Amino acid sequence: MNADAHDLKKLDPTLDPFTNLENLRLPQAFAETAGVKRLLKTVPVRKPGSQDFVRVHPELRLSPAALIELKDDRDMYLVTPNMVHQLAGEFFTATLYLAVTRQSVTFLWPVRLPNPDGKYLEWHRSAAEAAESAKSKWIRIVPNMGLGAYELFEAVSPNIPPPVWPEASFEEIIKVAFRDRLIDHPDHPIVKRLRGEQ
Amino acid sequence: MNGPQWPFREIWLVDFEFIARSGNRPKPVCLVALELRSRRIIRQWQNEFGRAPPYSIDAGSLFIAYYASAELGCHLALGWQLPARVLDLYVEFRNRTNGLETPSGSGLIGALTYFGLDTIGVVEKAEMRDLILRGGAWTTGEQVAILDYCEGDVRALERLLPVMALRIDLSRALLRGRYMAAVARMEWAGVPIDMPPLELLREHWDGIQDALVAEIDAMYGVFEGHTFKRDYFGALLAKEGIPWPLLESGRLDLSDDTFRLMARVYPALSPLRELRSTLADLRLNDLAVGHDGRNRTLLSPFRARSGRNQPSNTKFIFGPSVWLRGLIRPPEGQGLAYIDWEQQEFGIAAALSGDRLMCEAYNSGDPYLAFAKQAGAIPPEATRETHPIERELFKQVVLAVQYGMEARSLALRLNRPLVLARDLLRAHHETYRSFWQWSDAAVDHAILSGSLSTVFGWVVHVTAGFNPRSLRNFPMQANGAEMLRLACCLATERGIEVCAPIHDALLIAAPSDRLKHDVAATQAAMAEASRIVLDGFELRTDAKVIAYPDRYADPRGTVMWERVMKLVARCGGAAIAA
Repeated sequence: MNADAHDLKKLDPTLDPFTNLENLRLPQAFAETAGVKRLLKTVPVRKPGSQDFVRVHPELRLSPAALIELKDDRDMYLVTPNMVHQLAGEFFTATLYLAVTRQSVTFLWPVRLPNPDGKYLEWHRSAAEAAESAKSKWIRIVPNMGLGAYELFEAVSPNIPPPVWPEASFEEIIKVAFRDRLIDHPDHPIVKRLRGEQ
Repeated sequence: MNGPQWPFREIWLVDFEFIARSGNRPKPVCLVALELRSRRIIRQWQNEFGRAPPYSIDAGSLFIAYYASAELGCHLALGWQLPARVLDLYVEFRNRTNGLETPSGSGLIGALTYFGLDTIGVVEKAEMRDLILRGGAWTTGEQVAILDYCEGDVRALERLLPVMALRIDLSRALLRGRYMAAVARMEWAGVPIDMPPLELLREHWDGIQDALVAEIDAMYGVFEGHTFKRDYFGALLAKEGIPWPLLESGRLDLSDDTFRLMARVYPALSPLRELRSTLADLRLNDLAVGHDGRNRTLLSPFRARSGRNQPSNTKFIFGPSVWLRGLIRPPEGQGLAYIDWEQQEFGIAAALSGDRLMCEAYNSGDPYLAFAKQAGAIPPEATRETHPIERELFKQVVLAVQYGMEARSLALRLNRPLVLARDLLRAHHETYRSFWQWSDAAVDHAILSGSLSTVFGWVVHVTAGFNPRSLRNFPMQANGAEMLRLACCLATERGIEVCAPIHDALLIAAPSDRLKHDVAATQAAMAEASRIVLDGFELRTDAKVIAYPDRYADPRGTVMWERVMKLVARCGGAAIAA
């Protein structure tokens, strides 16, 4: 090799550790390289805990939803429209709201709609009002047995950050929530159980 | 072989033998250098050393050594210029194996063993080292033996280079080599020590320790002789109603970390903690001080996983006994300055994560107060004077996040309820969401790819049993180390006498009439280093100037220093202690 071939700057300017340091910087944007996102694998279907401050998504909800709650194990099942007529009297109708807690736990909040006879229990009415409020405010609901309704507590601090909604679509969330609790055919074990066949 | 296909006219493998007594500068004995392309070998005994190195050191030549700061220290001792391009195979071996097991350590033998290479000729010969340290005059036969011994290391480098070369990221490796030159300059400088009190301390240390135990333990009653009694301490805690962290075994956690934490919450325990640390860690005779009154020890660059220096706690004046730093004093006609980055880790986290609110908080000049405002805990017009308690609370949260602390430890540190600690940590998560996303992604990236790297390629490898907290903290710590290294390079290359790097600070010395100028130049170098590492984001620095005859004072050690100096005075050193 001749002397020119060994002229460091001509050959490879990055080999000068006294200049070009900006060009040596390696990216620190780990999110781009790690390629990791949070997967939603569990979505409870329940009312908020009495200590949870929650927000309700202003748009995403399923209403009316036909639901069956098994009293012994408190599991909530979603009845598909094709099965509704076969289970008349067994399910109740509700609005399923997409909700999150301050700890970013995503859940579906079932709020009962008025009964077919138009009767609307105070428990259910107060829950519906709370869900409406939760579309724009952080709220907490506490059952008051004496009152026969939920009491509503609102976070008054203006500095609580907005909720973080899951990236998954609402359809995906519903699928996850009712993954193994969807009554969509006549031979479903719950249908058989309700018919006394099991 | 004639060396890797790197664009250098000459590639020199170099090793020196030298004498380095504790605290003193090296005295070169001989050198061996091998040029890989021409196969030329140079063996020089000390009486053959000239005014310049016998090999080329311009930018067209590559200087390769193992632990190059030692060889570069010999250059300084001989008045030779430092090579323009340095590749240190020790540093590159550390980088390649950082986080991995190295069964035989990271020395030259360790590296050879790691790659399954022959260690013949390198096996440490105690008698040869003794022969070198014995000093002159060596017989001709001894000289040949020492030169052969030295050449053995060069031949080992020759075997090591090809197996390492393929995976060396040369451009960034040369930047690390540049730092080894700065290390040589800093080790050459050393930290000025006030010798008369040190000599008195050494002379009377046993008696001073007895007096310290008697004086301090009079407040606690937990010692028997020099032995700290766990049972007595337990009784003291019960009597004073102080809750104390326990080990899993149920016994009191008496680690220094816990003592430090608890002494913050219960300041009355602070003298006890300082005493325990002093008795346990302080070995005054190990403090490496040279004949010129300078504390000088291996800075152990790239020793820590983060790539930070890790000098010996007992040999380095900036070891754990902070009160001892009172010994640091500029000689007459000189001054010192301790210059550190303000909230360096917070600034790095803000800049690298790109968290807008965090950047704003840093740029506000008081990130702790800004954080409290951003979290809505205090009004926008609040100041540190109007809201000192809230500021301190949020400061502790920032520090807790930096240490990877959980809510329980934070509650203990704050001496406040657990629920408050949880809320405060949550406020950090909610205020600095982009930072936390970036931080989570850094851990994910590390686990998925098996490693994590700084902006200039210092890598930590992730193996089974990794510590997620340590990984999460790596970008801040390791890029902070990059920043410090670059600042050391810039400052020393600009002629500033950097006595030592200390975590996120530089201690510099200068003649009194030039001190102000050198402080400004060092601050400019540190600002420049931060901009380079953080892609334009600049971190502020703070300078504490120590003009002769003042001495360095760390507020954490002032009380102990004064207590010890009183005892020194009793031992007959009244004038010195004063």
